[in-house]
Amino acid sequence: MIEVKDLTKRFGRKKVLNGVSFTAEKGQITCIIGINGVGKTTILNGIMNLTPMNSGLILIDGKKVSKESYEKITFIPDAITMLPQMTIREAMQFMQDFYNSWNEERANELLGFFKLKQEERISNLSKGNTAKVNLLLGLALDVDYLLMDEPFSGIDIFSREQIADVFTSHLVEDRGVIITTHEINDIEHLIDKVVLLDNGVVLKEFNAEEMRASEGKSVIDVMREVYKG
Amino acid sequence: MRSYFKLVNFELGRFMKIYLVLIGITIISQIAGVIVKSRGYLSEANQAIIVNSMPKEQFLEQFGQMSMGTFTQSIWFMGPIALCIAALIFYCFFIWYRDWFGKNTFIYRLLMLPTARLHVFLAKVTTIFLLVIGLVSIQLILLPIESMILKFIVPIDLRADLGIMEIISNSRYLFVLVPDSFIQFIINYGIGFMVVFIIFTAILFERSFRLKGILLGIVYSVLSIIVFIFPLLLEIFFGVNYLYPTELFVTEVILAIIVICAAIWTSNYLINKKVTV
Repeated sequence: MIEVKDLTKRFGRKKVLNGVSFTAEKGQITCIIGINGVGKTTILNGIMNLTPMNSGLILIDGKKVSKESYEKITFIPDAITMLPQMTIREAMQFMQDFYNSWNEERANELLGFFKLKQEERISNLSKGNTAKVNLLLGLALDVDYLLMDEPFSGIDIFSREQIADVFTSHLVEDRGVIITTHEINDIEHLIDKVVLLDNGVVLKEFNAEEMRASEGKSVIDVMREVYKG
Repeated sequence: MRSYFKLVNFELGRFMKIYLVLIGITIISQIAGVIVKSRGYLSEANQAIIVNSMPKEQFLEQFGQMSMGTFTQSIWFMGPIALCIAALIFYCFFIWYRDWFGKNTFIYRLLMLPTARLHVFLAKVTTIFLLVIGLVSIQLILLPIESMILKFIVPIDLRADLGIMEIISNSRYLFVLVPDSFIQFIINYGIGFMVVFIIFTAILFERSFRLKGILLGIVYSVLSIIVFIFPLLLEIFFGVNYLYPTELFVTEVILAIIVICAAIWTSNYLINKKVTV
């Protein structure tokens, strides 16, 4: 389980996170929803120790993030984190060189799934295909937790569908996923848990299925209630 | 430790194309230069001795003998060295900033590697070290080749033959790059790499605290330099000069080690706790 406890973060005088707390379980897809600039990416950066928090605690399976954590948890930011001059093959080789958890078999499976060619240079890829390579490099790691920052933003409808299909496949199954988005439509049916964020605080944290069963409300219904009224 | 070596290999690979171009420019410029300069000298000699019937002794008195010493003062020789030095100084900064800027922010990947983050820092320092040593080695290989070309073109009675060490000690600049004693080597390269450590730490200050970090980086750098030149400052400002040259050398080595250790400790702290993508 990923536990985020009372996170605060200031950029200069601006307080971006103001005591954010939530949990994300293994085997579930947790979606952090909020408008742009609300601190979604900052939370993910904080979990991965990519930006220091002013206060708060982050635990992954009860332990603070250390170098060993990066074999257990991975982050797929909204831009690809490989050198543009690399080919897809070279990027995969880089991952294999540094990560014990790299699963070459799964990487090749993903290459086929996304219809990507190994010899293609990252800088020559379309936005959709770059997002798929980014996803491939994260998903091919045998990690327990995956963090994804806006995986659907700015890419074409077919690539979106393909990426959404990944969530229902064995490629994600059993892992804990935290995904951020400001457009819920593509993934509403996929998510287990929702964390609604605004002004640096968690407005509501709920289980999507339970909400549907007990109150008959979809995620969008709850969002309307919370944000508009 | 394996990750550290892999990172060094990776970092070297990232600069290799530009590095090979720098080596290429050095080789072409210096080899072409020694040919042009030697032939130029020879044609001057021919003009003076054969066409103008000047006695050879008078020509040598007036123009001097051609030697590698003369050639190493020329732009053909010094130009590429200056270019390489400028490129490496620039790369000391670019080796960090290239990971943050641009479309693909590679720093995310580097910071998420399942290895000590200090390895990323040390791999970059090692890369700069190897690049410098590599260029100096190429220069040491080039010198005897250039000397041979000069001997081939200029007849023995018009040239002064110098050994490699003589060529180096005759040139003010080469002498800094290739010192004639181990102690001098330690001093020159020790100071050089201490400065690289200080620059890298200052960059991490900036990458951690941005605008405020620039100020912190400058203050940190000035403090480090003050620590290193403290005995010198004592002498200049207070006239205190208790140390013999050997004692001064040992003191400076100890101070350099302290400055480098402080840089590594500070960088380790910053890259683990403060740096931000």
